[in-house]
Amino acid sequence: MSNDVKLLRFLAQEITQAELGKRVGITRQTVAAIEQGRYSPSLEIAFRIAHVFGKRVDEVFHWQPSGDDGNG
Amino acid sequence: MSSLEKRAWLTLWSQCPAYCIYFAIQVCLPTLVPTLLTHIACLTLVASVHALSYIVGLLLIKRGERGENLLEDERDRAIDGRATRAAYFVLLTGMIVVGVFMPLDHADSSGGWKIVNSALFFIVLSETVRQVLIVAGYRRPRLAH
Repeated sequence: MSNDVKLLRFLAQEITQAELGKRVGITRQTVAAIEQGRYSPSLEIAFRIAHVFGKRVDEVFHWQPSGDDGNG
Repeated sequence: MSSLEKRAWLTLWSQCPAYCIYFAIQVCLPTLVPTLLTHIACLTLVASVHALSYIVGLLLIKRGERGENLLEDERDRAIDGRATRAAYFVLLTGMIVVGVFMPLDHADSSGGWKIVNSALFFIVLSETVRQVLIVAGYRRPRLAH
């Protein structure tokens, strides 16, 4: 899963990771991990992050199914 | 580095050397601790060193974190939960060995100290496993999910 959190932070008057974390309710370290793709947040946190930037969740987080992720 | 990860490192650095020395003495130099009193004195000394080094380290961490948000979030809880689950099974296995099997053939010769030390070993081992998995959880992304 990829995301545009880092880009959106810079577009939103360059708010810091710490400030985003404070508004969402997570630590700065977790914001950094989300940006680097090392941690996939819960649905609630994903919604909160999207809400901070005034976007939909699917505009912030992107998921591409791999070859193994078929539904049949 | 998150608060939980710092505390995990602190626990590892304060706990491992102290108990490595303790178990080395118990296993390699059993003549150094021949009586109940010396057993208790040795264990008290090691536990005191562990506790003291942990408290000093914790104070240093608190001082360094002044002004930072120390609250744990969902990622910290996920990593902690995964590590605690693994450590629980280590502890469970150890307690089964110590409580079920060892009394049948180890209780007579050493006055029960082998059982006590084995129980302590599995407690220390499970805590070490927990802290190592916490540290690994912050470094290896798959462990955090």
